[in-house]
Amino acid sequence: MFDIVLNVLGVLFLWLSVEYCLRHETAESLDDASLTPFADDPEVARRVELATGKTVKAVAPETAKTGWINLEM
Amino acid sequence: MSTAAIGQAYNYKVVRQFVIATVFWGVVGMAMGVWIASQLVWPDMNLDLPWTTFGRLRPLHTSLVIFGFAGSAQFAASYYAVQRTCQVRLYSDKLAAFTFWGWQAVIVIMLISLPMGYTTTKEYAEIEFSGAVWMAVVWVAYAIVFFTTVVQRKTRHIYVGNWFFGAFILVIAMLHVVNHLSIPVDWFKSYPVYSGATDAMVQWWYGHNAVGFFLTTGFLGMMYYFVPKQVNRPVYSYRLSIVHFWALITLYIWAGPHHLHYTALPDWAQSLGMAMSLILLAPSWGGMINGMMTLSGAWHQLRTDPILRFLVLSLAFYGMSTFEGPMMAIKTVNALSHYTDWTIGHVHAGALGWVAMITFGATYHMVPKVFGRERMHSTPLINLHFWLATIGTVLYIASMWVNGITQGLMWRAINEDGTLTYSFVEALQASHPGFVVRFAGGVFFLTGMLLMAYNVWRTVRVADVAIAHREAQIA
Repeated sequence: MFDIVLNVLGVLFLWLSVEYCLRHETAESLDDASLTPFADDPEVARRVELATGKTVKAVAPETAKTGWINLEM
Repeated sequence: MSTAAIGQAYNYKVVRQFVIATVFWGVVGMAMGVWIASQLVWPDMNLDLPWTTFGRLRPLHTSLVIFGFAGSAQFAASYYAVQRTCQVRLYSDKLAAFTFWGWQAVIVIMLISLPMGYTTTKEYAEIEFSGAVWMAVVWVAYAIVFFTTVVQRKTRHIYVGNWFFGAFILVIAMLHVVNHLSIPVDWFKSYPVYSGATDAMVQWWYGHNAVGFFLTTGFLGMMYYFVPKQVNRPVYSYRLSIVHFWALITLYIWAGPHHLHYTALPDWAQSLGMAMSLILLAPSWGGMINGMMTLSGAWHQLRTDPILRFLVLSLAFYGMSTFEGPMMAIKTVNALSHYTDWTIGHVHAGALGWVAMITFGATYHMVPKVFGRERMHSTPLINLHFWLATIGTVLYIASMWVNGITQGLMWRAINEDGTLTYSFVEALQASHPGFVVRFAGGVFFLTGMLLMAYNVWRTVRVADVAIAHREAQIA
């Protein structure tokens, strides 16, 4: 009996969690979220747009700042 | 394509450090594995020294590959992916640097203390009291760096890969602290606060979730970033990835008791562990299918891209081992498989096939970007590494399947009068050919790892500051 209660609670937790996470999401917003890995890489974003026909809201590079890059380990 | 400027460059220094540590500990940890595999073929390989006996080097091997190799890989991948998907520099360069040096200190503590015989005797948690406390401190720093970066993000949505990394960080913190609760009597000697079956249950709650969260959840975060990125396609179903996340989190934590079938653990707990393990197949395969289907319309890339081959093969092994795991959790199957080499084969299907393969793919993806190169020094070498790793994994797991079933059947065989048909030594002798094949598989896998180290070294040696600079601005 105890394990059945735990199982039901587990399913309830799963259902509530997924519903909560998706409460404000639309098909379009989920599409945008799935494109996040390409959003900081305009070159790749262009290739993804060509392959999928979707628009990637990509960011552009800013001017290099001197002194921040450091290749030494 | 719309564009908008972002204002910060990424912290790639700590990513570079963890990438190098991944390769270094990979070579050392896998070499240790091949050494102890050779001890089972040629017992003289224990050198007749207390520090180099199987009993001391085996936990060192598991600690080095889990925490040194896989741990460093997850630090590198999570720091890389969280910056890029949040479009913000990692929080606090100093704290990030502390996590690198602190984590390396943890591995060095294991490297010294385990061969000396200092151990809690708890599998995957052998590091003794002082080391365990230091590990917790470093982990808290890691959590601060990761979650503060997420909080400071420029994007509206937290990408699903970061959810997996976040869950990995939080749950490992909980598991580590609870399992290591103990009374110290010395810097490196302590006694657990639990006893008997409770101690065993806490240990295997930890032990199974070390696999579930240290060797699965973080690597799924890696999969959700690097597979789409390498294939240039968004993940197959973002909605499924969210269901995958919550289902995995909900179920994994209950599966530990399947390590304690037919023991003093209450029967209901064993059955609960078995049931949860069987249900766990659904989210595991949901995630695997989501990763695989991301290649829809792009399967042809596998012909030319060995990095993608690593990533896809890792998903295939993930699917295979997450099918095998629930089957082995069934009590009647477990009666045959438990304590045999089948378990070792199952663990390595996951460790070599899933964890190491996806780490190789992610590392080959990251190295050129963080060291400012267009690509790795040699693509044919990546291809050769792929085949060595694949052959090594197949040799390893196939030999352990054969050994495991042989051992299980020989141990349970009884004569008509109820006496055992075979002595333990007879089962051991029957296992010897399998030990030889397993050793050969390990040599294949280690050779591939050495090729990777050479390829990374040749790539890093000519690191281009200008390109690394450009990459770190946005890419």
